[in-house]
Amino acid sequence: MKLSGIKREQRKFRWLLLSPGLLIIIIFTSIPALTTLSYAFFEWKGFVRGSWAGFENFNRLFSFPFRDQFLMAFRHNTLVFIAIMVLQTSFGLLIAYALFNLTRGQRFFRTVTFLPVIFSLVIVGYMWQILLDPYYGPINLIVNELGQPTWARAWLGDTATALPTLVFINLWRWVGFPAIIFLAGLNAISTDYIEAARIDGASEGKIFRKILFPLLAPSMTIITVLTFIGAFEWFDLPYILGGSNGSPAGATDTLALMFYRLSFGSVDSGANEVGVGSALGVIIFTVVGVGAAVGTKLLRRREVEM
Amino acid sequence: MKISQRRKRGLVAVAVAASVIAGPVIASMPAQAATELTFWSWRTEDKAFYEDQMAIFKEKTGITVKFTPYVNTEYNAILSTALTAGSGPDVMQIRPYGGMSTLSDAGNFLALTTKDVPALAKMSPGTLAGVQGYTVKKQFGLPYATSVIGVMYNPDLLKQAGVRALPSTYESFVRVLAQIKSKGIIPLGNATGNAPSLEQMWAAVGPTFYGGTPFFNDVVKGTRTFTDKNFVASLQAVKDLVPYMPANPAGVDYNTARGLFANEKAAFYIGGNYEISYFRSLNPSLNVAWMPAPAAAPGAKRYVTTWADGGFGINAKTKAKPEAIKLLNFLASKEFNQAAADQLGWIPTAPYIKITDPAISKMQKSLASQGTPFLTVVGFRFGTPTSSVIMQPGFQKLTAGTTTAAELAKDVQAAVSSWYAPQKGKS
Repeated sequence: MKLSGIKREQRKFRWLLLSPGLLIIIIFTSIPALTTLSYAFFEWKGFVRGSWAGFENFNRLFSFPFRDQFLMAFRHNTLVFIAIMVLQTSFGLLIAYALFNLTRGQRFFRTVTFLPVIFSLVIVGYMWQILLDPYYGPINLIVNELGQPTWARAWLGDTATALPTLVFINLWRWVGFPAIIFLAGLNAISTDYIEAARIDGASEGKIFRKILFPLLAPSMTIITVLTFIGAFEWFDLPYILGGSNGSPAGATDTLALMFYRLSFGSVDSGANEVGVGSALGVIIFTVVGVGAAVGTKLLRRREVEM
Repeated sequence: MKISQRRKRGLVAVAVAASVIAGPVIASMPAQAATELTFWSWRTEDKAFYEDQMAIFKEKTGITVKFTPYVNTEYNAILSTALTAGSGPDVMQIRPYGGMSTLSDAGNFLALTTKDVPALAKMSPGTLAGVQGYTVKKQFGLPYATSVIGVMYNPDLLKQAGVRALPSTYESFVRVLAQIKSKGIIPLGNATGNAPSLEQMWAAVGPTFYGGTPFFNDVVKGTRTFTDKNFVASLQAVKDLVPYMPANPAGVDYNTARGLFANEKAAFYIGGNYEISYFRSLNPSLNVAWMPAPAAAPGAKRYVTTWADGGFGINAKTKAKPEAIKLLNFLASKEFNQAAADQLGWIPTAPYIKITDPAISKMQKSLASQGTPFLTVVGFRFGTPTSSVIMQPGFQKLTAGTTTAAELAKDVQAAVSSWYAPQKGKS
């Protein structure tokens, strides 16, 4: 079938408009991703590529000492994903439901909830570093004032509390995001369903469980997939608060930090390990890509048509 | 709105032409004018000093220098990326020994000759070796200072705590720390929140336990290993000092720890001569004295750990080579090094500098009879994983009680034996 002149024009113009964005994606995302994939199969001396190495970089990644670091970082990423899904998403949903039911001041509280999301992460990191300072930080001072000095601790310095503290800071900053997504989802649900349920005598709890929550499945899909990608690429907050070594003693190490450390080196690492870093990059890419694709497919199945 | 076919084609043609013309023009533009140099460093705390010195250099030569320091821990990554991308500064601070050997071996630094920098001819081979390539044995940097690690103390706080004699053995050191603690003073400013400073603390107290230079020579030759019981004891010596550190030591970062000593809250601080300028910037009237780390046992030799702190190098791709060489010669001058010794607490590599600070002077004098190379920095940074990469987080685990000294020693041996030929196959 031949396209009419106008349609052909429209198609050309569409490509013209798309081309800058496509070029940026190809140059800055697709090509680097593919070249990283190839880097994993070569020997490297600093940033200079050597001969073909087959799967040697992958072997090294799964040998001492990288293996232990990889497993620890992978465990941290997985724990962070679970913690964010359970805590951040639940709080986000609660806040969204509260905002949804507000008859006055919804706009104000919506802004307040979303405000930390737009703060600079560096400022957020340093602010929490000051708040959590074991000597001068107000959090330990409050704990002491409450007569519980044993609760005061080096929140970011203790291997037992460092990662949970980072998760908490992440929750503080990001909870507004799922809240807004869920609120948008709630607002998209026709009030007819809710009013009909109320006429039938359904309680608020039942309306939430049987009507609102199932109809929020598309929002849940978006949040879950984005949380999964974010958790397995978590870099900025751990880097700001724990440095590239995931201090203390690797307690806040993540796969992305390990990738950065291996690929670009550190003060004490001597040479960088571009090959092993690229092998790790391939694994992160695969985990995130496969996880996000499978997650999206599974979650889409339980979405309810309105 | 409908855009005419002709106008659309015109717009596309203009965009393509602009990018074709602008691309090569931008690429061919010099990074900066020849009389302006860029100079990178990892010493953020010395920014004011370098800027003052660069103003003096400008007065002498008319060359402007833009000094940019980056955070110490990220400097390697920033410099490596910039140099590999073909940019980077004209002049830069270079890590010693294997710290940047891949960059030097890849030809990123200009090889220096005594013709370019005559001061190199006056330096000892040991000093020069600190900033030479690993596979390509050329001089890639001007070594600028020798670092010395030991035990700094505040004589006023010791007097206040009733300490009459300086401890000479580890046992008496621990006794003195306990005495100071009982008087309500923090005995030791060091903490465990910063992993690199734990390795430096070990470099101060450890050598007397493992046997200093003879042990260094033996592990380099491969006749002894890191699982040696004396080496394990040197690691344990760091852990045994934790009770005398500030409360919650894991949450105390490097600057807070140094601040406790500088602000006269802590009686001792184990660290290098380079800490003194920071102490004085916080408290110019601080009374600071220095002693070598105590002996492991009565009669054991006391050691003072030392290494080349780094060098100043020139980017092989600089477009301002003559100006960069002028700057390097200024950095090698008596004037600059005397100022660095006076203001930064340097022990310069240049032989004609007078050290006025009594504590630093004592450090320098101790080197002849007690100096020993920093085992992990001088000996084992030329391959990966380096011993430091294992030791630093390992010390944090050891001091937190989640690993033992023997396990840490085993990990260090496994790391080094994976790439260092004389240690291959040894455990």
